[in-house]
Amino acid sequence: MELTADQRAILEGARGPYPAGCMRWLVEWGEVMGARRLIRCDNTHVLLPVPNLVARGASPGTVEAFCEGLKQACRHPVAPHCVATVHTLFVTLDEIEAPENDPRQVRVQREIAELAARAGYLPTFTCAPYLVGNVPLKGEICAWTESSAVVYANSILGARTTRHGNESAIAASLLGLVPEFGVLLEENRRGDLRVRVSAELRHPADWGALGYFAGRLAGLGIPVFEGVRRPSQEEAKQLCAALATSGGVTMCHIAGVTPEAPSPEAAFGGRPPADCVEFTPQALRETYASLRDARGDEIDAVILGCPHASLREIAQAARRLEGRRVAGGVRLWINAARATRCAAEAMGAAQIIEAAGGRILCDTCPTNMRIPCRRLVTDGFKQAHYARAMTGAEVIVADTESCLRAALAGRFQGDA
Amino acid sequence: MPEPVVLRGRPVVRGRAEGAALVADATLSFWGEVDPVSGTVIGKGHPLEGRSLAGRVLVIRSTRGSSATPMVLNLAKLEGTAPAAFINVEVDSLAALGAIVNRIPMITELERNPFECIRTGDYVVVDAEAGLVEIRPATP
Repeated sequence: MELTADQRAILEGARGPYPAGCMRWLVEWGEVMGARRLIRCDNTHVLLPVPNLVARGASPGTVEAFCEGLKQACRHPVAPHCVATVHTLFVTLDEIEAPENDPRQVRVQREIAELAARAGYLPTFTCAPYLVGNVPLKGEICAWTESSAVVYANSILGARTTRHGNESAIAASLLGLVPEFGVLLEENRRGDLRVRVSAELRHPADWGALGYFAGRLAGLGIPVFEGVRRPSQEEAKQLCAALATSGGVTMCHIAGVTPEAPSPEAAFGGRPPADCVEFTPQALRETYASLRDARGDEIDAVILGCPHASLREIAQAARRLEGRRVAGGVRLWINAARATRCAAEAMGAAQIIEAAGGRILCDTCPTNMRIPCRRLVTDGFKQAHYARAMTGAEVIVADTESCLRAALAGRFQGDA
Repeated sequence: MPEPVVLRGRPVVRGRAEGAALVADATLSFWGEVDPVSGTVIGKGHPLEGRSLAGRVLVIRSTRGSSATPMVLNLAKLEGTAPAAFINVEVDSLAALGAIVNRIPMITELERNPFECIRTGDYVVVDAEAGLVEIRPATP
């Protein structure tokens, strides 16, 4: 890779050992991925979570060493031209009665959060930064962690980011640079899998099903969806999250809708593949069935807000729950960024949800926290996929209305 | 005893490592499908479910999904449960980053289909300096 004199000086230690190490990560990663140079990056979304592993048998030294790495990162300021937001945590910074919210872990996380804020990171603690003000423009070079947000930024916003991990996103924040490879380059943003949608997509969960179906087929490729209407923000969120769950997808196009796909031909860069897969009504049903392994209909958890809920989703849930009570023995979690919950509090929606027995969980989600449950209902394909492995729960994925009905009844009553 | 086989590949992350192979023609998400404490695959229905990655030469199509891949690899490395080396068909940028940061050799583009010539339990020496993979088949 060709470096400028300044970049080479940083690599050789002109700004100290930590920035030199960051530069080494970016350069080695760029070389492996075929980058020829580093380019300016103005927008990052980084991971700074304290791992919740001690309770699960990890040696305290492992967690300590990992946290020391995070603290070291946060002792270096974010590049002045760069906006840097922060991904979800494995704890909530609120005081809650869940034993999984280990006070020691929370204390270390607060320390890191304070260091991060001083370094210039914005404490969003969300998997959906585009809902709380980090909305990059078309063509903007970003370095984002959170695979669902990466797909959203590239596909829906037309911004450009490869899929980042914690080290590369921190290095990009500090140096304001990223290696130029993959979807940062125009020629790598063309679709290579054609998905014709003949199923009717009724609500966000159906868009999640489409993503879960297509991600499996796309692998690391770029699917192009044909024959669908413009999704709402919430629908786009589900599509992108599910694509990055069943596949390693970095971006997709929706022909006639997303910024770089005015037509199917444009989405494929003029070379549409001959083959085409179809998302039929049957495929829609089968995709739901693939994430429904519950052996009964009595449930003990309902999880909404994966990825984090929008203000509209919270307001809609509040309207549905007003004057009602979540069934005994059921925990209703609605995950959201703190900024979104503040807005929901200002409009009274948060209080309605809490009065009904639900909780708006900030900074994290129950699966990140490893809150165990036996059988859960969720409207997020990503949540269902990971919760099944990470908490051992039986899962039912369903649309939001069916989830809320299940929360009120204490059992899943089928699709609304 | 079958003869060892040596195959050429393209080094992605340099280094040398060896161990028993763990093979699946599948993708794997380290986040949510691998427990870094025990080093085992916990993904429900994954072909490697219940198998330990610790010290193994992991032969998979590619990693998938979450941007927490490098973080989980980092934690696994600290716990001593990380794979010894990767042989991948496709190079996912997140696996590459995780391998770079945690010094885990990775090799791709083997001259033969790895799923046809490496079986779980074979002893594999990955030389990602020279771009060579030596496969010592396990006795059946």
